[in-house]
Amino acid sequence: MIEAAPLPAIRRRRWELTRLLSMGFASLAALAFLGMLALFAVQSLPIWRHAGMDFLLGESWFFRAQRFGVLPMVYGTLAVSAVALLTAAPLGIGAALLTAEVLPRRGRLAIKTAIELLAGIPSVVYGLLGVLLLRNWMHRLLSPWEPLSGDTLLTGGVLLGVMVLPTIMTLADDALSGIPAAQRLAARALGLNRAETAFRISLRQALPGLASAVLLGLGRALGETIAVFLVIGRQDNQWPQRLLSLQPLTGAGQTLTTKLGGSETFLAYGDLLHWGAMMGLSLVLFGVVALVNLAGARLAMRRDGRA
Amino acid sequence: MLRTGKLLLTFGCLLAAGLAFAAKPLRINGSTTVNPVVAEAAEILRAERGLTIHVDTQGGSSGGIAALGDGRAEIAMISRPLEDEDRTRYPKAHFQPIRIGSDAVALVVSRDVWVGGVHSLSKAEVQGIYEGRIRSWRELGGSERRIVFFNKEPGRGTWEVFAHWAYGDPQKAPLVNLPEVGANEEALNKVASTQGAISQLSSSWADGKRVFALGIKKEDGKVVQPALTAVRDGSYPLARPLQVVTDGPPRGESKALVDFLLSPRGQALVEKHGYLAVSGKAAAR
Amino acid sequence: MRRWLDRGFLLSVALCGAVACAILLGIAGAILWRGIDVLDWHFLTREALGAGASGGVLYEIAGTLILIVTALAVSAPLAMGVALVQVVYVNGVEARRRLLVALYMANAVPSVLFGVAGLMVFTRFLGWGKSWLAGGILLGLMILPTLSVAVIERMRSLPRKYLETAAGLGLSRSQIVWSVLVPQSAAGLISGALLGLARAAGETAPILFAAAVFSGAGLPSGIRDSPVVALPYHIFVLAQDSFDPAVESHLWGAAFVLLALVLGLSLAALPARLRLHEEAKNA
Repeated sequence: MIEAAPLPAIRRRRWELTRLLSMGFASLAALAFLGMLALFAVQSLPIWRHAGMDFLLGESWFFRAQRFGVLPMVYGTLAVSAVALLTAAPLGIGAALLTAEVLPRRGRLAIKTAIELLAGIPSVVYGLLGVLLLRNWMHRLLSPWEPLSGDTLLTGGVLLGVMVLPTIMTLADDALSGIPAAQRLAARALGLNRAETAFRISLRQALPGLASAVLLGLGRALGETIAVFLVIGRQDNQWPQRLLSLQPLTGAGQTLTTKLGGSETFLAYGDLLHWGAMMGLSLVLFGVVALVNLAGARLAMRRDGRA
Repeated sequence: MLRTGKLLLTFGCLLAAGLAFAAKPLRINGSTTVNPVVAEAAEILRAERGLTIHVDTQGGSSGGIAALGDGRAEIAMISRPLEDEDRTRYPKAHFQPIRIGSDAVALVVSRDVWVGGVHSLSKAEVQGIYEGRIRSWRELGGSERRIVFFNKEPGRGTWEVFAHWAYGDPQKAPLVNLPEVGANEEALNKVASTQGAISQLSSSWADGKRVFALGIKKEDGKVVQPALTAVRDGSYPLARPLQVVTDGPPRGESKALVDFLLSPRGQALVEKHGYLAVSGKAAAR
Repeated sequence: MRRWLDRGFLLSVALCGAVACAILLGIAGAILWRGIDVLDWHFLTREALGAGASGGVLYEIAGTLILIVTALAVSAPLAMGVALVQVVYVNGVEARRRLLVALYMANAVPSVLFGVAGLMVFTRFLGWGKSWLAGGILLGLMILPTLSVAVIERMRSLPRKYLETAAGLGLSRSQIVWSVLVPQSAAGLISGALLGLARAAGETAPILFAAAVFSGAGLPSGIRDSPVVALPYHIFVLAQDSFDPAVESHLWGAAFVLLALVLGLSLAALPARLRLHEEAKNA
């Protein structure tokens, strides 16, 4: 690493073209991202002026009546992501335990390769499978609760869970494999069996890394648009009638991302207030995703000991 | 490094060349009802006269007007009459609607509802379903099954025609929480694949095999079917014009397309897709 | 008792692994199996007709390729700049860490936000209408963090002695950058690029608003009002109309082509990725 020990007696010209070029390109990149954020902030001013906190706390969204409230969409986003994590985290961590603790080197490599490849399946393909297959299965599965169709929050959540499964699995495996093999060998030599080694040695130490894996998977789930768009029903104002009721999960819903990816963005294009509301949505989405990923990244850095 | 430099240079030259010789395409945007006709006309004109035409249906009728008003399109396709609201929203534009045909908006249901015995609805019944007061098909003479109303997105021409009929004015339509569908294709798909489903759809898209168009029960008890004959003589209340809109009188390539649509060949396309021609002719069913 | 716990543990993780693999392999397998029926030379070389009910996906493939090549052209120089700044030009451990965190955060920006921002910036501010270049730039920005991190990791794993030797020979800092760092990290750029392009090829949301149309676009001719048709958007629109049996088989074929493209790019990146993983562990 260049920073560990300063390179001795390096000649630095007073100005370096390379340095300027690199800084220039990097600044351009930073400008693009910060510019996006600024765009959302500035263009959402109309809605803050119009509704203020009611935008964030409002329970209904009727754009024709100029009523804009994001709470049902935030609920949809969180509900779908929660279902996704509940399906993906146990499966992913369990499978990672398999590859990191149990399987021999070849087996681990084979499964890891397969999973890494499958992590790249485009979301529209997941969406297609959701529409053609998952939707009907969920409709049949949920029939005791009489859903209107197979397009429900639950369907979106399950699809999303399958999508983030490879991410969680890979990161969890990385976290568990970071535990030195020497510790495992020592534990086995002392007479601990595989389960005990896994729980007492690996899991305990890898906890930050596992938490980071789940958080980063959550981050990805929060930002997913296309696959969820196709199977969620896109119905506004779905809000649980009673606190902690699970009823909305069996009905259609709307998330922050599916609203932005739908045709209302085109409709809002010319109208200052409506577009301001859509920009407000973008800002909220940005904020939520940023928070979750910040937490996940911090934990990942602690895990790697990157200083 | 040199290789990358050369690559960038070539790229830059291509860009510049492209910019210099850019031919402005004709951009069309709007309703999914009018789209099949215009898209096919565009393909013919592309093949015969080499015109570059882009057709897009992402926002429906209202999206088309928005694109026209914003200057993002030269022609808007709408499946409803042009409203005052459209003109006030874009005061600088001079919208000129040109009718290319007529169509009927029908309430379509899935197969099980039709087979269950529901073949027509009155306005009061439709209002009841829309507002959630009537929840089961049994209340309307059908089988015991929950009514699933897929509401067309409020920006769609089909929805506006429906709202005009059911409530007199789209602004007066109550704000409801219903699952929404966008394009005609999506509405057809959702209704066909969901039991107990009903939605608003162009009557010519109801094929009588997967989805079925209901008749309208008028106040005097007579039932009017959404047939094109009823549209022509005005007895079906949910009739609507199919129009293309330009900003100012059509010029150049826009004029070429509009002229084609109004010509016998273009009108034959209108009939081919199941709509009523401007003259009132319809394809033999 | 302990033995039962052990057996239970082994069984559960084996089950998890089996279910996970089954799901993912099932997905890939379903597409491959259903899509292969539709696939023939005609499918790949004809344009889509009849709103997807017939014809092929020629222009969609071309459009996707145009988009990802543009994305690479936009992203590569920026990524190199970012990587060099992170590794060489920024001083201080804290600053370096913050930069890396910023990269992780940039990587997590939901793709739909790129699309929405692009609608405003390219279609309205710049007046481009729908443009392939807008799509390329947006995709390039989206994959920028992936490329940057790949190059950074590669640079970090360079043996110190290369740099020490170069410094010992009296090379200046920028000479070290150009003659040692950049050439040696080309492999990182390539593998990062392959991964990034695999992701860019499959993304729909960034190109949804400002770059892609469903039909009527062949090869673009200029920048303004020159959209493309692309595989992901094509599939996305048709998936909402999948009840027509003719369209359904066309859909499977298009999904197959897209998946093949994405998996091909990912496979190409795999050896480098795995090597990087192992190197990082052994370092």
